[in-house]
This record gives sequence, C-alpha cells and structure tokens, in this order.
Amino acid sequence: MSRGGRGGGGFRGGRGGRGAGGGGPVIPGMDENYEFIEKKPSELYPAYNVPSAAPLTKKEEKCVSYFLLFREQVHDGPLYTHTRTLSLDNGAPVRTYGQEQINKRYGVKNKATVDPFLAMPTYSQRFTKQERALPDLASRPFAKEFFPVELHPTLDGDDGPMAGKKRRLNGKKTLALSNITELRTAEDIFMGGAGTEGDADSATRAQALLDKLAEGEDGGVEDLLAEDEDWVQNNEDGEGEQEDEYDDESDNDDYNAEQYFDDGEGDDDYDEGGGGGDEY
Amino acid sequence: MNVTKSLAELCPLLIDEIYGELPSRIYSTLITRGRSTLSQLRHYTALTERQLRHGLAVLIQQNLLYFHTDSDTRTTTYEANSRPAYNLVRTGKILEMIETSYGPAVKDVMQSLFILGQTRIEDLKAAYKVRIRQQDEVAGATEDDIMFDGAEVAPAANKPTLPVPSIAKLNNILCRLVETGLVEVVHVQTFASPEDIFSDVSDRVMRNKFPGGVKGAKGKLEFDEAVAMELRKIRRESTTLKRKLEESGSAAKRRKLLNGAGVNSEHEPEGDPVLDPRQVIRVNYDKCVVELRNRRLVDFAADRIGTHISYVYGTVLKLLSKHIPRCHDDPLMDVGEMRDEDTRPRVVTTNEILNSLPTAVDVSQGVAKVSKNRIDIYSATAVRPNPPATDPVSAILNGNNEEDGGSDDDSDYEGPNGHPAADDSAAVDGDGGVRFAETTHKENRVDMLRQHLYLLAESELNFIRHCGEEQWTVDFKPLIQHLKEAELDVVIEHTVGRQGLRLVRILRKRGKLEEKSLPTIALMKKPDVQTKMLEMQTAGFVDVQEVPRDPSRTANRTIFLWYTATDRCISQLLERTYTTMLRCLQRLHAERRKEKDVLLLTKRTDVKGREQEVMAEGYYQRFAAHLEAEKKLLGQVMRLDELVAVLRDY
Repeated sequence: MSRGGRGGGGFRGGRGGRGAGGGGPVIPGMDENYEFIEKKPSELYPAYNVPSAAPLTKKEEKCVSYFLLFREQVHDGPLYTHTRTLSLDNGAPVRTYGQEQINKRYGVKNKATVDPFLAMPTYSQRFTKQERALPDLASRPFAKEFFPVELHPTLDGDDGPMAGKKRRLNGKKTLALSNITELRTAEDIFMGGAGTEGDADSATRAQALLDKLAEGEDGGVEDLLAEDEDWVQNNEDGEGEQEDEYDDESDNDDYNAEQYFDDGEGDDDYDEGGGGGDEY
Repeated sequence: MNVTKSLAELCPLLIDEIYGELPSRIYSTLITRGRSTLSQLRHYTALTERQLRHGLAVLIQQNLLYFHTDSDTRTTTYEANSRPAYNLVRTGKILEMIETSYGPAVKDVMQSLFILGQTRIEDLKAAYKVRIRQQDEVAGATEDDIMFDGAEVAPAANKPTLPVPSIAKLNNILCRLVETGLVEVVHVQTFASPEDIFSDVSDRVMRNKFPGGVKGAKGKLEFDEAVAMELRKIRRESTTLKRKLEESGSAAKRRKLLNGAGVNSEHEPEGDPVLDPRQVIRVNYDKCVVELRNRRLVDFAADRIGTHISYVYGTVLKLLSKHIPRCHDDPLMDVGEMRDEDTRPRVVTTNEILNSLPTAVDVSQGVAKVSKNRIDIYSATAVRPNPPATDPVSAILNGNNEEDGGSDDDSDYEGPNGHPAADDSAAVDGDGGVRFAETTHKENRVDMLRQHLYLLAESELNFIRHCGEEQWTVDFKPLIQHLKEAELDVVIEHTVGRQGLRLVRILRKRGKLEEKSLPTIALMKKPDVQTKMLEMQTAGFVDVQEVPRDPSRTANRTIFLWYTATDRCISQLLERTYTTMLRCLQRLHAERRKEKDVLLLTKRTDVKGREQEVMAEGYYQRFAAHLEAEKKLLGQVMRLDELVAVLRDY
C-alpha cells in the first residue's frame, strides 16, 4: 500500500517543507531528527514481498465446492445466459470511458465480427454447446403477481417476433431441479472415467478397491463405488443432452438469435429494435 | 446500503459469474445509473427491449431488483438491490452452515431455493415429485439390469438415496425452515424499495392521521412512531407463514404429541401442517447472516477463552438467536417503546441452556479450579441489569483494568489438586500458569455450567451479560465492535508491524495525544515513533490534527495531535476489501480467457464423460491447474467476504 511512498518527504510539504537554513519553520516530525528520512530517490520498483495466502482449510474447501456446485446448477438451468464478451478476448482495452465504450465491449455476433478462420462449419462444432443469448423463460412457472405487468408476456414466453404464432406449451409447466448433483473435480473427471477402459484399467481399479478393503475402510469402498455410479449417471446425462440438442436443432427454436437473423423470418422485430437489432 | 464504486463493479461481476452476461449487463447499468424505466435502459445499454425484458425478468426472479409501478402513469421503474447481489458470494458459506447445523436434506431444499429464486410452494413440491419419480424409475431400471447382467452392475444396487425421499419430508423441511426464519414469504411489498415504502407510508399516515399537518416536537415524535408502526406491519408480512406455524405449535411440540418419545425421531413428518401451496417463498438472507454471526462469535470465543467454553457459548447464542430476525435494527422501524416483540432483547435462563446443551459437551472441562477465597464472588457473580454505556468502547476499556487484575490472580494460582492440564483444553488466560482440576463428582452439571457462564461474562470482551438472577443475555453491539477492532488490528499489524499496532492501540485508548507525549507513553524512541506515525498516516490508520496556539499559525506555535478514527479505518478497510474481491474475480476471468481452448473443449458434449480418451495429457494438466487456481481465487474471495461480514453485516 505504501511502497515507495516515503521517499518523497512530502509530509505537509505545502508549508515550506525542509526550509533552507535554520530560520525556516520547525516542522514537527522533522525537527532535529532528519536521519529517518531517506534522502536518496527511491527505487522505481522496490523489492516487494508478496504475501501468499494460507492453503484452504477443509471447511473453506467445502464452501468453495458448494459455491461451484451452485454455479454449475444455475448454469445448467433455464435462466442462465452465456457469456459472449468477445472484444475483450481480442485485446481490446479493459478501461472504458463512457457508456458507449462499455456497450461496445460486449460481444456482437454478426457477419462482420465472424472470425474467418473458425467460421467454416466443421463436424466438431456439432458438439459445442449452443450458446443461449436469452433466458428460456417459457419453460418454467413464475409467480406472476410479483412481476411488473409489462413483463408478463415475457414470462409466458410470448415475447418475441413469433409471439402470435407461438407454440403453446401444453399442460402445466413444472420447475426442473438440476440433474447435476455433484461437483466433479478434474481428478474425478479423468480418473473416474477409468471404469470403461479396457481390462487393464478395470484390473487396476479392482486393485484399488482391494487395497481399500485391505485398509479396512468401508467408507473408502463406498466412495469408490459411488464414484463409479456417478460416472455412469453422468455419461447417461451426456448422451441425453446430445439428443436434446439434436431435437433443438430440428424444431423451430426462436431463441436462437443467429438462426433468426439469418433466415430473416421475423422482419417485424427490426422496427422495435431501432438500430440496435444487430446486437446478439 | 450505500454503494461505492468497487461494490458497484463487484456486484455485476458476481451476477455474471452466476446468472450470465445479460442480467449482469442490465444490473450494472442499473447500479451505476440509478433507477430507470425500460426505455431509459434501452437508451443506456443499446440492448433491444426484448432482451431487456428477459434480463429484467431473470433479475426479479432472483430478487436482485426493486421495482415500482406508478399508479397514474403505469410506468415501471427498476432499481438495483445490491445486498442480495453481494450475498451471492455467500451462497457456499450459507449452504455449508445449513448442512452442518440442519443436515443434508435441509441443505438440498435450501439449495433448490437458491437456484430457483422465489418459488411457489406447490411448484417446488411438483419439482421434487418429478425428481422422486425419476429416481424410482432409475432404481427400477437398475434392478432390471441386475437381472440381465448379473454381477456386472452389482455396484448400482447400492443406489444413491435422494436427500429428500418424499413429499411429506419436503413439507417437514419447509416447515422447519419457515419456523427458523431462514425462509420467508414473498409479499406484494417485497420488491418495493425501502425508500418507496417509506414515502408511501408516510404519505398515507399524513393523510389519515395528521390531516392538519405535523405540529411541534411532540407531533413529530407521534408521527414517526405511527410511520414506524406501519412499516413494521409491512415487514411482518414476510413472516405470515412463520406466525401461522407458531400458532399451531412448534415442531418439537408436535412431534412430542405424536409419538410421545424422542425429540430426535424424524419419522413422523405427517404431523406438520401442510403449508399453503399458493404462498411464494424465498431465502431470507437476514436470518442466514444471524446464524453466520453466531458461528463467527463462537469461533471468537474459542480463540479468546477456550474450545469447551465455546460450546456453551454456541448453545446460548442458538437459544437467543431464535428470536433475532436480523443483525441490525432498522433505524426507521425499531424506534420508540413499542417495538416489535421479535426485536426486543431476549434473555435465557441457566436451566434453558442446560436443557439444550448437547450431552456430549463435558462442562467439567475447560475451567480452572480456584479456591473460593481467591475469587471475588461479588464481582464475578454481579448482576448487570443494564447494557453497557452508549460509548461501549471506552466503557469496556475502563472496566477492563480491574478485571485484568482479577483474572491474572486466578491464572497464577495452582488448583487444589495441582494436576497439569491436558494440552487440548485451552488455557484460560494464555499465561501458561493455569491448572485444571480433575472432575470432582460433587459438583453437578448446573454448577459447572454456571462457572462457564460466569467466565464468559467476566471476560474483558463481555461475551454475555448476567442480566438477572440466573438470566443471561448477549449485547451484540459492543461485542461486534470488538470483533471489528480485532480484524482491523490484524490488518494494521500486517501493514505496519507490531509497534505500529501498539501505537494505534494507545491512541484508541487515550483518544488524541500530543506528539511529544506519545514516545513516553509508548516507551519508544522519538524517531522510531515519528517514522511509524508517518508510515501509518500514509496507510490511513492515524491522522494528525493541528491546533494553532495563536493566530499566526506558525508551526512551532501549533499543537499537533495524533488520533486514530476507528470507524473511518473500518470503512476504509471495507472499501479495500471490496476492491480486493473485485480483483480476485477479475483475475479469474483473465485466467479463463487464458485457458479458453481447454475450457471450451471440456464443455463439448462429445468430450464430456470421455475426457480421458479424448483429451491429451497436456490439456488435462492445464485443466486441472485451472480448476485449482479457480478454487484458490474463490477461496480467497470467501475469506474476504468473512471480513466484509464482520465489518458490515454482523
């Protein structure tokens, strides 16, 4: 905080500072004891002892992992919108002056900003997760009496270019609880997947189980087993998601902004957008 | 809560971390621009109205905004609510706290509420119903698999049980949460900002009760009280469910009535009344903070006195905080004599503490034995019916001296049995001379407990107050002030060293001190003192006041008084903490950009679940390192949040 700040000797320097000769005003804190003030100019970058934080305690680790799990679950849910900030990645200045620059910072995905090297559709792009620019409000119920009236159509999912011919969701909407029940660390992801590998891997896994047994830790065995199951579940989830995605592509998803602008179906939105229509 | 620049940057970053870019962008505009209408927002953000409406809906769903619809013009203005936005960072901590004190099932429900935002009870139940049904199907399916594949899938037979196995259990948990106040009811006024409510209410009171205007000091007082009463009425709306439950008897009572036997049996959730399914509920952060404060204070007591005594203290706090809905009184509402019954200071009796103290806690441990004649019984057991003076710091510091002397005596004395204490039971005064007695069977649990309570009351920090015969209470305000000062002291010591801390403490105790007298009091060399004081002035911990002795204002005819403004130091520290948290999160974003390709790859659906086959070793290393860094950064943010909690919320 105060590094290098002392060399200047600017302590109430506004009133004469170090007066030349003995006649100057005696400044308390400086009177007969000049020695403590460094007279040399200070180094430009003085050696700085960077403190390092203590490792996390068990409790703190638990807090962090609960926070991360909460984050994952929200990201999994319908209200999350993906981060699309692009200009920062291209080395645009971080500091902004004024609202206009702030607005510019947020990514605009249109034909002008497409990266020509990556824009070519490739097979592997099928597997990247679709970014969602708008929350999917239609899929879940809301307590509408607590929202301002002007948002009510939005909550019903009737807000958009297709509002009139909107597909109606049949039946009652239900809240969905997240399927993610456990936070997987990098180790879980990589080591936990060993179960599907060839015989060699399952052998090592069995060995690990045996080792645990030998140690007489029942809990350990259960953990390993649970991990296994978790993996199976997650794998299933993954497949499920994949299928979902294909479904999404086939049906007329009007929240997919790119598609919407490309095929130009919803021309009626442009007048509403008033020039800002290219955003997202 | 006044919002400073760092906080205004921190909150959108947190929202971005959790809810994504669109809400964060709108929120950031709202918090910097103040309340705005939809068209104003469109002008500021250059987003389309459709995007704005979606973003606002998400923000309101997660309780991050206030809004107000004008009854004449039908326009709605939105306003950022910074408290819940900041509280997002506390989510992990609250969940951890709930798991340790209420169990994993309650944590699961709480987590769902965090994720869903405000939720209608019937919707929540339906969601859980779906999950339970799915689980049943999965269980059925795996059973089939076992039939076909035999031993191959045998591990799956050990099926993971849901934390909330049935709807009845869910109802039971919700009842408990509502009863403790951790969950509150959303009502019509929840999303009105406090200023709106206040102006609304004072207008109404003015119209109805004071049509002729408020006259005189007495009239003003009456008017204030009338307004406060109306405001309290609105605030109590959020506890309607809780009060309804209380009318039908508390959970423990119901359970007792049902099976007569143990309080701990969890098998009779049917006894709980079914909550009104139309009600909308959400997490009550105020109450969560109260519980977090309890934990923090218990840690503090364990630090200062000892672990055993902290168990007792935890029980006292738990009993007291049943009736504490929030940490700070509202200056507008909690005025006058007619306060809410929940906000009045509560007392607990020794017997209540004894009854709810877990039997596992051995009260015979942790207190030194001293012979009767060495204890000043009158001062130790003195009843202090009134809370300490309005200037708590000086009052406690003055009272300090005598008590210090007394406890020193105690610790020098060797107990009658003279056995050295076990290492883990903490020393009473840290002087090393404390000897614990072996358990004497003559003394029963109550007496031992009373000893603990006296010790807590006698401590220089006044953890509890003996406010009547066998009655105890906690004065949170002075205690939290001590906690704040302790945190500040840590920072001062890290910044300017022990000597600097000593000088600050001297100034805190003595008030303003002239430059010349400081070295004598501090027993330090004059140049040393001057260097330190300058260093600390640059850091902002102390400041100097100039008092000229004559109109010419020359320096040698001027008195220079050093002083430390603790409140200012605390607010400065708070501001710095926000900034540090902000930097941590920004660093996290930078890390993410650095490892962008790896993160994109792990998110791909064909990679998920098959990482080991698909990803190269180098990628794995980078991914693991990134997760580690993320954990460290977030851990640091949570530590800083603890500091913010002490300085601002407790």
